[in-house]
Amino acid sequence: MKRPVFSDWNIKSVNRKAAIAELLKLFPFQSNTQDLLLTALETREQAEPTIVHKGIAMPHCRSILVDDFMIAIGKSEKGIPWPEEKVKVIILFITPVKPSGPDEHMKLIRHLAKLLRMDGAEKLLSADSPIEAASILKFTLQESKQNE
Amino acid sequence: MNKDLERLISLHDLDVMISDLQNKDIQKQEKKLGLSPAAAVEELKKMRGELALLIARRSRDMYDQLASHYGNAVVPVIHERCSGCFTQLPTAFVASPDRNKQVETCPACGRFIYWCD
Ligand SMILES: [Zn+2]
Repeated sequence: MKRPVFSDWNIKSVNRKAAIAELLKLFPFQSNTQDLLLTALETREQAEPTIVHKGIAMPHCRSILVDDFMIAIGKSEKGIPWPEEKVKVIILFITPVKPSGPDEHMKLIRHLAKLLRMDGAEKLLSADSPIEAASILKFTLQESKQNE
Repeated sequence: MNKDLERLISLHDLDVMISDLQNKDIQKQEKKLGLSPAAAVEELKKMRGELALLIARRSRDMYDQLASHYGNAVVPVIHERCSGCFTQLPTAFVASPDRNKQVETCPACGRFIYWCD
């Protein structure tokens, strides 16, 4: 599953909502769209924090505001309270709402679940660069200043 | 963007989220990730109720009718067409400076429409 991802390997935010907002800023959306996506992702987190492994959170949703997969990976050296457990790596994704249903969304979750359940989670936590992290997740990194 | 339009978009995304977390295949994968989709759905339904109450009664009722009829009540305008029914929107609509500043509906299918970035 080769999917382009954006990255920020030096997240500065110190709380969950701000960290999600920081990653959303990597996407080429206007602030209004970013705010609505933040609302959707944060709502899901309030319902249940998406901690998928110790130190790894996976905020995700489908939205009519995107027309293609939007994926971002981030790392915080200090860790971000989520809100109790500390999270160091974030895998954030938003998939489009299509008439065909949630199949593609489900496939991406299955892809990540499989990788993380193998040894992907530990490898991800010790990845030194976003390039390495993207490779562990079998994603292709987007060209951006954040990745340099 | 009009506040009610924002809330209608959020309501739509929330409905999609609830529906996804009730999908058996997605539930299975989420559980494999250590998540509890059933518990999340209960919380999300409560949040949905609270959000719906913030939307003007008329728009809220229309949303519910459209969602039960079409499955989706809010759609983006893509290439000057309603992406719900693919009808070309009238020129006055497309050229309006008030895009997203008020709650608009597609003249053909009645779905709520919004313009993307
Ligand atoms: Zn229409």
